[in-house]
Amino acid sequence: MARRKGRGASRAAACVLVAVQLAIVVVTLGVMAVWSFADAWPWPQLAPQAWSLRGYAIVFSGSSDGWPSLALSVGIGAASSLVATVAGAMGARAVCCHEWRGKGVFRLATMLPFLIPGTVFAMGVQVAFIRMGLARTVPGVVLAHAIVALPYASALMIDVVRARGTRLDDAARLLGAGRVATLFQVSIPSLAPGLLSALSMGFIISCSQYFLTLLVGGGKVRTFALAMFPYVAGGDRTIAAAYGVIFMVVTLAVFCVFRLLLRRLSWNADDAVLYE
Amino acid sequence: MRAASAEEGLRRRRRAVRLAPYALALPAAALAAVFVYGVVVGVLQGFGIMPSLGMNAFTFDYYAQALARPDFTASIGYSLYLSAVSSAIALAGGVLLAWALTTMRARTAVRMASLQVPILTMHALVALAVAFLFSGSGLVSRLLADPAAQSAAQSAFSVVGDPSGWGIVAVYAWKEIPYVAFCTVTIMMHVSGTLGEAAAMSGASPARSFFSVTLPLCAPAAVQAFVVVAAFSFGSYEVVYLLGPTYPKTLPVLAYMEFQDPDLVNRCYAMALNGITTGVCALTAAVYFIAARVQRRQEGSRG
Repeated sequence: MARRKGRGASRAAACVLVAVQLAIVVVTLGVMAVWSFADAWPWPQLAPQAWSLRGYAIVFSGSSDGWPSLALSVGIGAASSLVATVAGAMGARAVCCHEWRGKGVFRLATMLPFLIPGTVFAMGVQVAFIRMGLARTVPGVVLAHAIVALPYASALMIDVVRARGTRLDDAARLLGAGRVATLFQVSIPSLAPGLLSALSMGFIISCSQYFLTLLVGGGKVRTFALAMFPYVAGGDRTIAAAYGVIFMVVTLAVFCVFRLLLRRLSWNADDAVLYE
Repeated sequence: MRAASAEEGLRRRRRAVRLAPYALALPAAALAAVFVYGVVVGVLQGFGIMPSLGMNAFTFDYYAQALARPDFTASIGYSLYLSAVSSAIALAGGVLLAWALTTMRARTAVRMASLQVPILTMHALVALAVAFLFSGSGLVSRLLADPAAQSAAQSAFSVVGDPSGWGIVAVYAWKEIPYVAFCTVTIMMHVSGTLGEAAAMSGASPARSFFSVTLPLCAPAAVQAFVVVAAFSFGSYEVVYLLGPTYPKTLPVLAYMEFQDPDLVNRCYAMALNGITTGVCALTAAVYFIAARVQRRQEGSRG
């Protein structure tokens, strides 16, 4: 009896904690949303005195490069997450399904961007990219973002590949399927949950990069994060908040698309839970 | 003839099998190589090696200069303090949140909103929101405002530029508690549904079953997430730049200041600071790999 009471109490505590967490998320993002529509909000008023769409109008007007930078961010995010996911998936197959020399070093190397700060990498790689002709170019930024996303993609794909093994692939090959057919009809579908998670994670990481994009792109590759940052750093609060809301809407929309695809593709509900 | 070609074919197959993992590892290895190359070029510059400027002599001068800076101790201390406090809060809060989600058997939508949404919010935006809430003219200061006060400048507190750095810690906590929870909640749900349930059936109290069974099995995942958070908060730029005080500055902010200096030789100095940052992170990385090894051993013993 006492035990059941203890369990009920801990369940209640858990619900309170989760509710607090949800409230913190909602309040934080809510304040940003309110500011994005505020025209005048003088101190010490608790609510804006006037509302307007000024912030959004400026983001998408000619004076600010909202649209082109948003399109560029989506493009760079898609390209870099694809590179990181493909590299991560192939690497995961090498790590989980083969025994070879240098495997330990390889795993360490792919995890390095987790452990050495992006600022160190960004300042160092700038010179290297100038030498390679990648500085101030979109491909250079894509490459840099893919590198930062690699450890996430690797970790995710190693989990998924380890859970899957290569049984299905081996069966398909034994039954006479060619390499290409096996890849597209067996391997990729069976890894789809992990691939989709890695893609959406890579996309989010790419969109959030400010410092790395600034250094590698030299200010010339103006992604959404770069266009937004001056406003966040002390410019107009309404415009900064409008940028923020648009950033959240776009990344959330992309995330939801991937979620829907994931749900469609996973025939096994457990997998969906495991890899979301 | 046929036997020879069969043997040739077999040999080719064997070679293909042997080389397959290397071919698979190639793209990721190439990306990692670019990363290492970038870091190494930077670290070498810290030792005064900049071939493009004709500097090829190895020297510790820049490290000596960096260490001798009057604000160096304050700077590294502040970086360590922010990183340690943020990642400790992230670890404790993350495990707690994962426990809460596991215990209430949260639906997917709840988990999405409480974990995924913070994960996909950009750090700079969280800093912006924290400023909206806690800056001198922020919402909280408005709530607490003395009606007699005429301007935001007279308000009691402001998170922006506060040397205690609690605004920075708040941003990292907001971002990284969900991250740690995200990294642990899957395994925690699994363990608590199987072994935790078994412990409960055998008469363990919920607390005992959590601390003796569930937590130890989730610890490696949580520690790995903790190390990632620690390295990140030690070495990242945006949040500290947006909310940090003018003194002391964290190491990355200091390094970037020197890096931007028109005098290119100052880059060596910036890179020496980066080298020190890398050294600190390498130490945390060692912890990470010990944790990873422990986890792998556990996985091995679990079959």
